[in-house]
Amino acid sequence: MGAVLYHGEPNGASLTVLAALAESGLDIPCRPIALLAGARHSLPGIAEPIALDLGIEGEGPVLVAGGEAMTESVFLAQYLDELAGGCGLQPDDAYAHWEMLMWCRQITERLSPAAALLGNLASSQAAIAAIPADDFAALTAAIVSDDLRARWQALHDGTIDAAQVADSEAKVDQTAQRCEDKLADGRDFLMGDFSIADLVTYSWLAGMEPIRPAAFAERPRTRAWLARVAVRPCILAAMAMASTPEPLKTWAPGPEINRWG
Amino acid sequence: MTDVTLYHWEPNANSGKPMLALMEKGVPFASHYIDMLQFDQHKPEYLAINPQGTIPAMTHRGAWGSRVLTESTAIMEYVNAAFAGPDLMPADAQDRWRVRWWMKFMDQWLGPSFSMIGWSVFVGPRVRERDPEELAAAIERIPLPERRRAWKKAINGDFSAEEMAESRRRVALGVAKLEEELGKRDYVGSDAYSLADINIFNSTYSLPLSQPDLASKDKTPNIMRWLKRVYEREAVRKTWAMGKTDMAARYSLVMEGII
Ligand SMILES: N[C@@H](CCC(=O)N[C@@H](CS)C(=O)NCC(=O)O)C(=O)O
Repeated sequence: MGAVLYHGEPNGASLTVLAALAESGLDIPCRPIALLAGARHSLPGIAEPIALDLGIEGEGPVLVAGGEAMTESVFLAQYLDELAGGCGLQPDDAYAHWEMLMWCRQITERLSPAAALLGNLASSQAAIAAIPADDFAALTAAIVSDDLRARWQALHDGTIDAAQVADSEAKVDQTAQRCEDKLADGRDFLMGDFSIADLVTYSWLAGMEPIRPAAFAERPRTRAWLARVAVRPCILAAMAMASTPEPLKTWAPGPEINRWG
Repeated sequence: MTDVTLYHWEPNANSGKPMLALMEKGVPFASHYIDMLQFDQHKPEYLAINPQGTIPAMTHRGAWGSRVLTESTAIMEYVNAAFAGPDLMPADAQDRWRVRWWMKFMDQWLGPSFSMIGWSVFVGPRVRERDPEELAAAIERIPLPERRRAWKKAINGDFSAEEMAESRRRVALGVAKLEEELGKRDYVGSDAYSLADINIFNSTYSLPLSQPDLASKDKTPNIMRWLKRVYEREAVRKTWAMGKTDMAARYSLVMEGII
């Protein structure tokens, strides 16, 4: 049975994986799905659903391979790179690889939940709130993860408090500063060579430019880096798969905000 | 003299991961015990190594000078890639993906719930009796604001009923899913012992003692079979012998229960 990649518009987690797939040159068919219609929770042909049911990333892409649902964009990018026999998205050196993993973890643990929250508030909350009650009940009933369902519900009910928004804005600012610092030595890409770190950071940060312009105003190196990544062939290929003129403005419920410390 | 120094607490949760990975690879390392209950991890000597004030951390000296590595799972991946010895990652790309998925599931979803429960029933009560002024000063020294909040809650017993219930829900669900997974494969995520086993073992090894309602011969035969196999590894025995508190004594108790 051939693999299929189910994905949303090229933004956030879906953008990372679509771009990694383009970079890998692998021939895996892609099927766009309507994340805000809950399509991710009724995918066909899945015998091993745990990574879909209890994924941490929220409404990210799902690669179905051999009946197994595979999720988490950074790991899918690693998988595609490795399946292609190494397409250059991961450093070979153990220490450089550790640095890349650490960077990606900072992004997925801190930036992604923050960006998803701000992005959803800006662009999808109204649509989620407008889903008729019966449809919304059916949609959320199909979501296996209680905590992901709670994130949909909070957007639907508009119960996101100001402190969470402020915390998320601070995290976007911190990420932009972290990029600015990393790029200070004149390097073109975050780890030196182009890598998954650029894909995942771009995927969650690029859509923050219109929402949180203050994070970028005084950070010219980060803006220049965003512009450099935007024209990488793999990003252009992923963007070409959009079905809307502004894919960086499409969001769906994302990862949860760290509840421990 | 060894090139590797590991700063760790008990062979448990995050500290146990790089300890066990180094032991499995046969990499000699200098052990630097950080007593978490004495707040050693927030003292200036340690903050000079890891400014975040969390354990574990590892230094690796070589031609490049001295490197500091943090984040237990990422340290394990580094150890596996940087040193000779048995490969602790499977060769198949999909198995590798699964191993990483399970480690994230533990590190970012299930583990924090274990931590919350552990801190409220074990860490908090142990630390609480100390001089309040000394404790206040210790909390002041914690670099991460979110950790400062967590320590305050642990010391004051302030975890809400709601968040404790959510943590218990996650632990019960996570254990049930692990049982399912180990019914499909010999080890976590693949049919070979890997970093995912090390990762998950370090947070589940005492479940049959601490949560017999969730993990037992009757309820979770696959987990028990897996625990026994992992417990029997020489690297595990050697690592557990490095423990200094009565946590290490649980090792023999659990073994007795399993065999
Ligand atoms: N994500 C980090 C977390 C490290 C961590 O939080 N370690 C705990 C001990 S298991 C700690 O340092 N707690 C003491 C404190 O926060 O003060 C890792 O996996 O290494």
